[in-house]
Amino acid sequence: MDKIKNNALVKKIGFNRLVLCCVLLLMYIVFAILSPTFLSYNRILSALNYSYFLGFLAIGVTFVIATGGIDFSIGPVMFAAALISGHLLTKSGVPLPVCLLVSVLVGVIYGVINGYLVAYCGLPSFITSMASMQMAKGAGSVFTKTQTISWPQAAEASGWYRNLVKFRTAGGVQIPTGLIILVIAMIIFSMILTKTKAGRYILCLGSNKEAVRLSGVNVKKWEMLAFVICGMCAGIAAIFFVGAYTTIQPGLGDTFNNEAIASCVMGGTSMSGGLASIGGSFIGVMIISLLQEGILAMGIQKDWQYVITGVIVLVAVTADIRSRRRKN
Amino acid sequence: MGEVILTMKGIDKSFPGVHALDHVDLEVRKGEVHALMGENGAGKSTLMKVLTGIYSKDEGTITYEGREIEFTNPREAQDAGIVIVHQELNMMGHLTVAQNIFIGREPMKGGLIDDGKMNEEARKLFGMLNIEIDPTEKMSRLTVGKQQMCEIAKAISHDAKVIVFDEPSAALTEAEIEELFKIIRDLRAKEMGIVYISHRMDEIKVITDRVTVMRDGGYVGTLVTAESTKDDIINMMVGRVIYEDPKTQSTVKPGAPVVLKVEHLNAGKMVQDVSFELHKGEILGFSGLMGAGRTETARALFGADPKESGEIYVNGEKVEIKTPMDAVKCGIGYLSEDRKRFGIVTAKTVAENTTMACLEEYMKGIFIDSRRENEVAQKYVDDLKTKTPGVDQLVVNLSGGNQQKVVIAKWLAKNCDILIFDEPTRGIDVGAKSEIYHLMNELVAEGKSIIMISSEMTEILRMSDRIVVMCEGKKTGEIDIAEATQENIMHAATLRK
Amino acid sequence: MMANNVKKGNAFTENPIVRAIGTQKIVVVAVLIILFGFFCIASPAFRQYSTILSIMDYSYYTTLMAIGVTFCLITGGVDLSIGTGIICYGLLGGFLINHKGMPVAVGLLVTLLAALVIGTLNGALVAILELPPFIATLCTMMICRGLGSIATGGLSQNWPPAGSEQGWFRSIFKLDLGTIKLPLGFVWVLLLVILMSVVLNKTKVGRYIIAIGSNKEATRLSGVNVIKYQMSAYIISGFFAGLGAIAYAATFQAIAPGTGAGLELDAIGGAIIGGTSMNGGSGSVAGTLLGVFIMSMLKTGLPFIGLQANWQQIITGLVLIVAVYIDVLKNKKMQ
Repeated sequence: MDKIKNNALVKKIGFNRLVLCCVLLLMYIVFAILSPTFLSYNRILSALNYSYFLGFLAIGVTFVIATGGIDFSIGPVMFAAALISGHLLTKSGVPLPVCLLVSVLVGVIYGVINGYLVAYCGLPSFITSMASMQMAKGAGSVFTKTQTISWPQAAEASGWYRNLVKFRTAGGVQIPTGLIILVIAMIIFSMILTKTKAGRYILCLGSNKEAVRLSGVNVKKWEMLAFVICGMCAGIAAIFFVGAYTTIQPGLGDTFNNEAIASCVMGGTSMSGGLASIGGSFIGVMIISLLQEGILAMGIQKDWQYVITGVIVLVAVTADIRSRRRKN
Repeated sequence: MGEVILTMKGIDKSFPGVHALDHVDLEVRKGEVHALMGENGAGKSTLMKVLTGIYSKDEGTITYEGREIEFTNPREAQDAGIVIVHQELNMMGHLTVAQNIFIGREPMKGGLIDDGKMNEEARKLFGMLNIEIDPTEKMSRLTVGKQQMCEIAKAISHDAKVIVFDEPSAALTEAEIEELFKIIRDLRAKEMGIVYISHRMDEIKVITDRVTVMRDGGYVGTLVTAESTKDDIINMMVGRVIYEDPKTQSTVKPGAPVVLKVEHLNAGKMVQDVSFELHKGEILGFSGLMGAGRTETARALFGADPKESGEIYVNGEKVEIKTPMDAVKCGIGYLSEDRKRFGIVTAKTVAENTTMACLEEYMKGIFIDSRRENEVAQKYVDDLKTKTPGVDQLVVNLSGGNQQKVVIAKWLAKNCDILIFDEPTRGIDVGAKSEIYHLMNELVAEGKSIIMISSEMTEILRMSDRIVVMCEGKKTGEIDIAEATQENIMHAATLRK
Repeated sequence: MMANNVKKGNAFTENPIVRAIGTQKIVVVAVLIILFGFFCIASPAFRQYSTILSIMDYSYYTTLMAIGVTFCLITGGVDLSIGTGIICYGLLGGFLINHKGMPVAVGLLVTLLAALVIGTLNGALVAILELPPFIATLCTMMICRGLGSIATGGLSQNWPPAGSEQGWFRSIFKLDLGTIKLPLGFVWVLLLVILMSVVLNKTKVGRYIIAIGSNKEATRLSGVNVIKYQMSAYIISGFFAGLGAIAYAATFQAIAPGTGAGLELDAIGGAIIGGTSMNGGSGSVAGTLLGVFIMSMLKTGLPFIGLQANWQQIITGLVLIVAVYIDVLKNKKMQ
């Protein structure tokens, strides 16, 4: 066992992440045995559909968790962004590129609000983000007057955004463009987290905020930035959500918070801050996406997913706390 | 003075790397106030922790009321009648005075807590002690002095026979100390044994009957207060003259410019009207006893805590320092006494910690240039002789001395000219200590200036060119190294202004 | 002599009557009266008895949840599971009545029992495993949400309607005398507020819960079993979420699976407005009652002055942020 752990390659990737990959593979095999349709390309595409928006949510919340905070508003913010921009697109005839920008902007605004309240006003992030979760749900409902919004289909005018998720060639082959974009985004954000000043300070302040402050670093600015990145990612996630699922209902979205957070903690991001991995979150996202597709494929009630996500977070956080206590 | 109630004999205690108590004796009689004295780190608190069962002893015996005892936790000691009134008070601020005193043993009536009876009992206790405190007042609304009286009342309510006061007067006003002494005299009259830990020489003369002095974890001797002078006690406390090459002459070049001038700095109770100057190439020692306000002065100067008033001049220019960011911009670096909390990010690598304050200099576009970052980290690892397997090692895995070097590297990388070393060698083993000293001397030789806060007399005398002494938030002395002795520093450090 | 030893505030806050009641509560009552007056003047429809009755109706379940969560907040923790919790417990009870032919009494009992189980689980996670309360209860929040739907197969549950043979439980909260409907629930809520005030201030449970929130380590060193009492706060919170579930079932026609998220924020917000601190150690049940009334008043009142009902969520969020910010400032001032 130790031999595997100390292998250079294993160390580079991270033992936990390798285990997660195995879990992912194992899950796929189990589902494939239980439900033969699981091997079809369409099933895989369908599972991937779920991973795009969840992936962006998870990227964003990884930054916030890295600071030692939490953001419970991402799901509803994603919905608010999709509702507001979708309303503009379908009801007010605003051109699509503007709507996509608006979507990201809505996310950024929520990120700025959360970030300011947490970093500058000193409010606890969990209660702040729960409050903004309510405000996001409310804003979506108010803006659309509680109407469901359906984004255009691929064949319709302004439907080209769907190519961001799935590209259908002339020959009818479906290419998961979303996966390509997500992987590129993962790489970019991973570099931001590990290679830039912002990422460095975000990780360090999550680990020991006071020491970083006493080094003459503007910790408030960087802490706020993490929330802004998180909000922005929620805005981007909105585009991928409607690209995959078209319709969106006001007043929902909070279940996705937990799935995104679960993806992060599974991937080795520590709830106490300072330790985060976008790559780990990616594997976590894939596990959750596969899980929901599996539940769907086997005809199990989808509510099991909430229970399982809850248990996953509990186990992951308990394990994290235990291992920290052992180290000290 | 009555019969002996408590005897600690040959108490020995070691921690990994430290011989904390070396066969210490202490004897307390009924109706006696027994002072326990010694410099910071002499082992007074450790001895009391052994007494009350927080630490277990390695050797020696404790005899209490004629029986040999060994407590395993403070609760047992309390039940037996040995209580500590802590310097940091253990109280629940949101509960009332009476509720605090009777926590865990509330009188009940019909399934409900009988607050009336509790207040009555508390009132009786206070009456017995001649203290005026309203038992129904919220604890957090009392002043520190009154809170301490409540702790005493709590101790008495536990039928204490031996009460240990751990630096009780540290946070009290003159009037409050008077009141405290009155209570202590009352307790003495009631035949209790009292251990009084304090640094304050004048208090010792006023209130105590005997003095036991400790030094470096060892027992020095016991005196009868009335028969000894202040100087006798100070001599016992400082005793040894075994430090290596003490400085006898300032090494600052005559006419060296003033790089930092602080005027009338005020920040809360612990920093009152502090003024001093720091010259180029100087090590300015800050001496004083625990709670003298040295760290608070440094933090206020550095912008880590808000200050109320005061002017700061760097290289003759007046500067506004409100946050650590401002201080760092002025070229000031601060090495905290509490490295783990304020100095390093333990979960990060040596390289990451080294460039913490100057990351912008190691960027290539928007990305961190990890090659140059590692180079600079390696350079400081080499320069400072930091023992680490590599610059990618997590700081948590380094020893205390090497962690300290990483913090020093952080400020050197930022090219700070004024460095504040707050207890630079605390928790560092002897070998690493002299390396840090050597390093500090090199730094001032290069033209940097250092403020060194230290509670170790030998360190102060060995390193400083000039010494500022503080006591209770005020500057009580400024001594050139040529005239400095342990005695005159200790005098200034116990001077109440 | 005494006065010199006490840190003083201004003349108003030092007034003995003001201190006995608490400044914040007085302000909250004033705000409540102003809000009520404002809505009454602004909207004739608001002035009607039926409106006031409906404000009351909607306030019961929130108040009950809030009473419970006040205890968690006082320990310095929080319970986020109560929102989806009341839906889950209500669904379970309703399912037994509707699909298993159990009498309503059994349904009520099971509702409470389920609430106690989740409360105990929360307590164990926080007090024994020492998980951060918001994470632990977030997970149970998710689990509750799922379990409620799973148990009922995703079906809405209608508890027996008023007037039907099994509908007697609805008159616990609203007594229909034919000519007039009496908000009986308010009486129960008031009684529970008094009862829990006594528990908080006069029993060991309450005393140690305050002590833990004030200084957990000092409480432990005083020989108090902190695990037991910290846990009991979550059990109390769970139990009151169970009572809240009953009130919810009695007030609304149907309970829909998958809902309930966000209800806990009304309760937590109410408690914080009422002067309970997020930092633990201080709080009052009566204050919580007043705080919840402000929440309910805003939520029911705003549609009467022409704001759509959807603004309610935004208002909840804003009020919550303001309340927490006041709390943060208050704590800063204390130091």
